[in-house]
Amino acid sequence: MIKRIFTLALLAALGTTVSAQGLLGGHVTGNVQMDGQMSRADSVIGAQDVPEKLLMNARADVLYTNGDFSAGLRFELYQNPLLGFDARYSGQGLANYFVAYNGEKLSVTAGHFYEQFGSGMILRAYEDRYLGLDNALLGMNVQLRPVQGVTIKGVIGRQKIFWEYGEGLVRGIDGEVNLGSVLGFMKESKFRATLGAGFVSKYEDDEVIPSSANPEMRLNLPLNVGATSLRADLGYGNWSLQTEYVIKGQDPSAINGYVYHPGQALLLNLIYSQRGFSASVQAKRIDNMGFKSVRSQSGEMLYINYLPAITKNHTYAFLSMYPYATQVNGEQGLQADVMYKVKKGTFLGGENGLDLHLNGSAVFGLDTTVTGGAGTEGYTVNGGLGETLYGDVSLEIAKKLSKAVKYTVTYAYQVFNPVVENEPGDLHHNHIVVADVLWKVSKGHSLRFEAEWMGSDSHYDADDPAHNDRRAGDWIMGLVEWNIGTHWFLSASDQYAYNDGVGNYYNLTVGYTHGATRLQIGYGKQREGLLCIGGVCRVVPASNGLTFSLTTSF
Amino acid sequence: MKKIFIGIIGIIGLMGLVSCDKIEEGEYTVYDGAKVTWTSTSSSLTPVQRVYVEKFTGPRCSNCPLADATLSTIHDERVVMVSINHPTGQGIPYPGQPDLRTDGGTVWDKWYGVNAIPAAYINRDLSQQYLGDMGNIVGDINQALTAKCVVALEASAYGALDEVDAVIELQFVTDYLQPVTVTVALVEDSLVYRQLLPDNSVDDNYVHNHMLRKVATSYWGADLEASGTAGESLMGRVDFTIDSDVNLEKSHMVVFVSDKATRKVLNCVQCGITFEVDEK
Repeated sequence: MIKRIFTLALLAALGTTVSAQGLLGGHVTGNVQMDGQMSRADSVIGAQDVPEKLLMNARADVLYTNGDFSAGLRFELYQNPLLGFDARYSGQGLANYFVAYNGEKLSVTAGHFYEQFGSGMILRAYEDRYLGLDNALLGMNVQLRPVQGVTIKGVIGRQKIFWEYGEGLVRGIDGEVNLGSVLGFMKESKFRATLGAGFVSKYEDDEVIPSSANPEMRLNLPLNVGATSLRADLGYGNWSLQTEYVIKGQDPSAINGYVYHPGQALLLNLIYSQRGFSASVQAKRIDNMGFKSVRSQSGEMLYINYLPAITKNHTYAFLSMYPYATQVNGEQGLQADVMYKVKKGTFLGGENGLDLHLNGSAVFGLDTTVTGGAGTEGYTVNGGLGETLYGDVSLEIAKKLSKAVKYTVTYAYQVFNPVVENEPGDLHHNHIVVADVLWKVSKGHSLRFEAEWMGSDSHYDADDPAHNDRRAGDWIMGLVEWNIGTHWFLSASDQYAYNDGVGNYYNLTVGYTHGATRLQIGYGKQREGLLCIGGVCRVVPASNGLTFSLTTSF
Repeated sequence: MKKIFIGIIGIIGLMGLVSCDKIEEGEYTVYDGAKVTWTSTSSSLTPVQRVYVEKFTGPRCSNCPLADATLSTIHDERVVMVSINHPTGQGIPYPGQPDLRTDGGTVWDKWYGVNAIPAAYINRDLSQQYLGDMGNIVGDINQALTAKCVVALEASAYGALDEVDAVIELQFVTDYLQPVTVTVALVEDSLVYRQLLPDNSVDDNYVHNHMLRKVATSYWGADLEASGTAGESLMGRVDFTIDSDVNLEKSHMVVFVSDKATRKVLNCVQCGITFEVDEK
């Protein structure tokens, strides 16, 4: 029945592609994405053969809007999932559906919904197709806006996990007040303040988790686990301070080894900005803040909350080769970021000015003393720093030489501890240099050249578990990208481990864009590694073969 | 504005208070008992409906001997009795006297909410409580014995030093499709220790029978892996250890089958402990 409804809805949506209007007076919009992969074995890079020969992830979103009313659904297909996506996605069907009313003072969503309280440290239901992550809640989401500047949210539901739903029931309430909107005397003030508070609780049935110390004992599990958040977003002139403090009750779970130590987290972000200059300092401390709706669930699914990363999300290949994965059981760190635009006509700025971007971050574990295993408090936290988990400092210089030529040079130094990926091994110390030149050859035509180098003290040894990371060693990379008019683009790149490493990863890509439709075909080798977005990661296995992608929207 | 802000904080605070469980330190683990291994069998058992009687007692309880006197008039072997030492107040042992309080008995006592002893219940039916001289408990037990047997039950136990190996046989006589649990306990007879009497004197040689010494499975029973359809037969094996102060020769094993949700007892059985004879 659901399949029939979906088919009819999809046909209705596709039927309106041209006009995208007119269905019962409303609007129908949507998008389609298909990603395919063919890969064959390559023992050097560790790529496995794909018995199906062709793997595909595909999805189609359809949204119907009519005034304050909207309804949507999403069909997903994983036949079979691309390499690196969980095999439990295998299948196809209706993955998301909802109806919603969005009035001036009241919004109600029934069905699947995504939501976030504050920075997400007590609740963030979200989806990231590239991570293969969908923590949508199936239930009800109600938002009240009784007066301008005041928002109260209430949610209840169960979390999506692949094609099923977790047993845990998630309930939450959040309130936020913008003082500038509700207090008359603050409307003209330079001082800005938004205060918020939230509470999320999950309920889960009891289950038998044996005590590690005594087989005749089992854990006395809390069935209701709550997390509370207090936050403030303050500003004065060019300054702003965002802060959130979160506490979580006892939550013995698979990810913390079933210990009863309560959780807490603090996030601080101090920002100064003015024309041509901005600086920020971010601090974070997390202690046992993994919060899942199913206590026995490991991996990235069924997280109720999200712990923001405070390391820079790099985009260049070697800079992002060792991304940082947030350690939900405990970490503490700092990030500082400075951007400065050197004015035109100065010694450094020259004719077209110069952009400088300096960023640095350092993340450490907590200094703890272990007091027991499952069924105990687990550990106590001391005041100092734990082991070094990650650190990087990068300086990016971007300069426009002329109207046609712009270059960016980046130097970065990284320290990476394999323990963040639950792998053994020593700290990796990497120096990375990137040069990126964009040349606008003529109207609509451009060439981009990218050269990267990474020198590392790590080395690859297939027979040593502490050194069998295929990212190890010294690397060079070159990339050429040619945009031909408004429709075509070609790209060729090669990454080569020239010392103490393994692998030669070449890639050729051709793409065609027409309106909202884009087709891309690539052939080459993908290095195994980790894809992280905001500290949340997915393992990307090595592959060797053809990839293609089609996206369109209507 | 002030009212809205207070309202938001109030609702969030209230939710925080009612929607978060706190486990006290020292209670992070609970007894889960010995595991029962179930296998399907083709045995056919004779359906015998028995009655399970739980009595809460204590050495400082002057009226408890009255309850003992009433229950001692029952000689029907189909009545399975378990005496549980109340954990507090009149259940506290006299100095130098044996302490018959057990963790399992305390959990059951709290579940019933026993606040006065003696107190007794038939088949864990919370709607019927018997206090003092036990009122009409004998008549109600006889009435309960006429109930239709849902599940036939037999048990045997073999003892050696501080260990008991038990075999439970079970067969559904009629369909019972709700989840059920099986609880195994050890009770000891002929325990002689001080007891307060109705005239407020003490008897140092009072004989206590059916005293709960251990709940061998988890306190609310081991899950029965069965569909519950009529005719289905299972055999369960369970091994458990006992404390050194328990006299196995004066003990017997009690087994009862309960509805997992309501905890009402469907049937029960008791058996003595058999010891292997030393040929030497």
